[in-house]
Amino acid sequence: MVKKRSFGFLVMIMSIFLLLLAACGDDGGNESSGGNDAEAKEDVELRVVTTMAGTDPAGEVFETLLEEFKKENPHVSIVNESQSADAGTIRTKINTDFTSNNEPDLMFYFNTVDAEGIIDAGKVVNLEEAEGVDLSGYGEMLEQQRYEDGNLYAAPQTGFYEGLFVNKKLFEEHGVDLPTTWEKYEEAIKQFSETDIIPVAASTEDSYYVVEHYALAAGGAENYNATLADKNAAWAEGLDNIGKHAEMGAFPEDAGTIDLAMASNLFHQEQAAMLYEGSWAWGSIPEEVAEHVEVLPMPIYAEGGSTGDVVGGASQGWFISTKAYEDENKKDAVVKLFNFLTSEENILRIAEATGQVPAKGSLSDLPENIAAGHKMVDEAGSVLTPINDRILPEAFTLIRTSVPQIVSGDKTGKDVLEEAAALE
Amino acid sequence: MKGDRFVIFLFLAPAFLISAVFLYYPFFENIVQSFYNTDGFFNSEFIGWDNYKRLFEDEIAIGATLNSLELMLYVAIFQVGIALVLAVMVDSIKHGVRFFRTTFFFPIVISGAAIGLLFTLIYNHRNGLLNEILVNLGFERIVWLTEQSSLYMVAIPTIWSYVGFYFLIILTAIEKIPDDFYEAAKLEGITGFQRMTKLTIPLIVSDLKTCLVLAITGALKIFELVYIITRGGPARSSEVLGTYMYQKAFDDGAIGYGATLAVLMVVIGLSLAFLTNTFLSNKDEVTY
Repeated sequence: MVKKRSFGFLVMIMSIFLLLLAACGDDGGNESSGGNDAEAKEDVELRVVTTMAGTDPAGEVFETLLEEFKKENPHVSIVNESQSADAGTIRTKINTDFTSNNEPDLMFYFNTVDAEGIIDAGKVVNLEEAEGVDLSGYGEMLEQQRYEDGNLYAAPQTGFYEGLFVNKKLFEEHGVDLPTTWEKYEEAIKQFSETDIIPVAASTEDSYYVVEHYALAAGGAENYNATLADKNAAWAEGLDNIGKHAEMGAFPEDAGTIDLAMASNLFHQEQAAMLYEGSWAWGSIPEEVAEHVEVLPMPIYAEGGSTGDVVGGASQGWFISTKAYEDENKKDAVVKLFNFLTSEENILRIAEATGQVPAKGSLSDLPENIAAGHKMVDEAGSVLTPINDRILPEAFTLIRTSVPQIVSGDKTGKDVLEEAAALE
Repeated sequence: MKGDRFVIFLFLAPAFLISAVFLYYPFFENIVQSFYNTDGFFNSEFIGWDNYKRLFEDEIAIGATLNSLELMLYVAIFQVGIALVLAVMVDSIKHGVRFFRTTFFFPIVISGAAIGLLFTLIYNHRNGLLNEILVNLGFERIVWLTEQSSLYMVAIPTIWSYVGFYFLIILTAIEKIPDDFYEAAKLEGITGFQRMTKLTIPLIVSDLKTCLVLAITGALKIFELVYIITRGGPARSSEVLGTYMYQKAFDDGAIGYGATLAVLMVVIGLSLAFLTNTFLSNKDEVTY
């Protein structure tokens, strides 16, 4: 009897839960039939995904810009789903969104191998053919965005550069010449390794910028632009040079296990004299240290190469999704928002916050060291797309994570390149 | 009886559904993906057994498997061993049992990422805790994470962080042993050491077996401590299957090959769990 009663009680509880669940269900269908049709057509909701979030100083300015746009266009509401690029999860988000037919209407994303699948699937529009899209005022950074099919799918916002960040104060204190030539760079490693100062703050495993710059130094621009399939001898020589310099004491003793952030800390704490990084690194260098820091182009020793060539470009751009563009309700709003965000005034506002090189116009009143970085790019013989952005990610990971084995003598640069090329 | 079955089914259904959606389906999908050269999204090409062929020729995967097995050995021996010793010691004291129980269990509640960061800062060459102590005592700095030592250095926090879990299981098992057994043995003139080897351990052997199976299968899932402390280095010397799979699937976007590594992990895990259960079968178990 007790059993029967408890079973009845259980069924009752479950029925209540079912009713509650049903009550929570989507009743959107009823709502839409009762709403004002004219008003619904006018109201537009746009989803925007960018990397301007988290610790990115552009995040705050971007939020302000969105608020300003909404004020000017009260019928447009914007869902900002930006997330930091730090952990690489933005790639998973974008890919998941696009494959599940849930793509953002406008996105600021990597226009590198990361976007190839999206572009090839026709998920983003060719900006040059898109009605109403304003691409005027751009410099050569726009051309760098051109895809292999000759179309333009992304419009840049700011450019970046990579270089050798040097702490001039430490160089002066130790009477060492700034590394403006390869010989001086090697001499600086030698002299600093005899002191308590680490010559180059680097991780040999998390060694993106070290690998890039050593390949550039050994090969110059021409060899740097080679493909992985070429198994370029200058790239191999560059990798071997890392091993040679590690032996000279160029890097921290535990360079094989620390990550780039930990290595950068040594530079931030003035325990290291040099650091390979990108222009975004300025934001993380403490102010009192940054005033002694200058960025130099990688000294190139290759025959035919010229010091001054810089690794950089604009690897991110604004994309309009085909789905939003083909949606009559959204088309005008998404194009308007695109034009608003890529206007010279707004690009400069974002560039001002990050210290990056703007894709339109130029910044004035910059701190001396950041202005010097911009000047380095202006004067560069050529601005070269990073190897990392051009080759299969798996192959680049293999190259950079094999550097500790080159350092320990287990492998040579040539072996590593052959292994990496086999992955492509 | 019929009604009971219905209720049983009803209560199991939510758990089964959740497992099906979040465990069985992804696992099945993982096996499917392992036959593709895919980034998991736009690029996907069926390549048959190629990922498996690659797996057996991949020196890094073989090294990572061996490292995982070595780490498993340390974990099984030391996590359960130290937990047993601590549990016996805590059981034999009269005061402060609660204090020790809390203290030993404490690392369990700290997230793996925090422990990883803690030990990164302890081992750091330039500014780490250990080297600061050495420098202050007038010694030279030591590189703690070398190709020879990195796996041991990762094993230390791995063992430390989970000892408390097994300690608690074993201590609870010891506390369940009726006092009459000890009283009778005391009358027979048993010594402290004999009490442990002849009485306590034989009576908790089934709990020890459970701990061993958990430790062995859990060792395959080790990821965050290695990823944070050594990043699998230097020169892959502490790479384990978890970190290598993560690198392939998420850093490199090689989801297909990452899925193949995941299948390998499951196969090793299931085989070892089966072997452990077979070798530690409960034939001669003492019950009370």
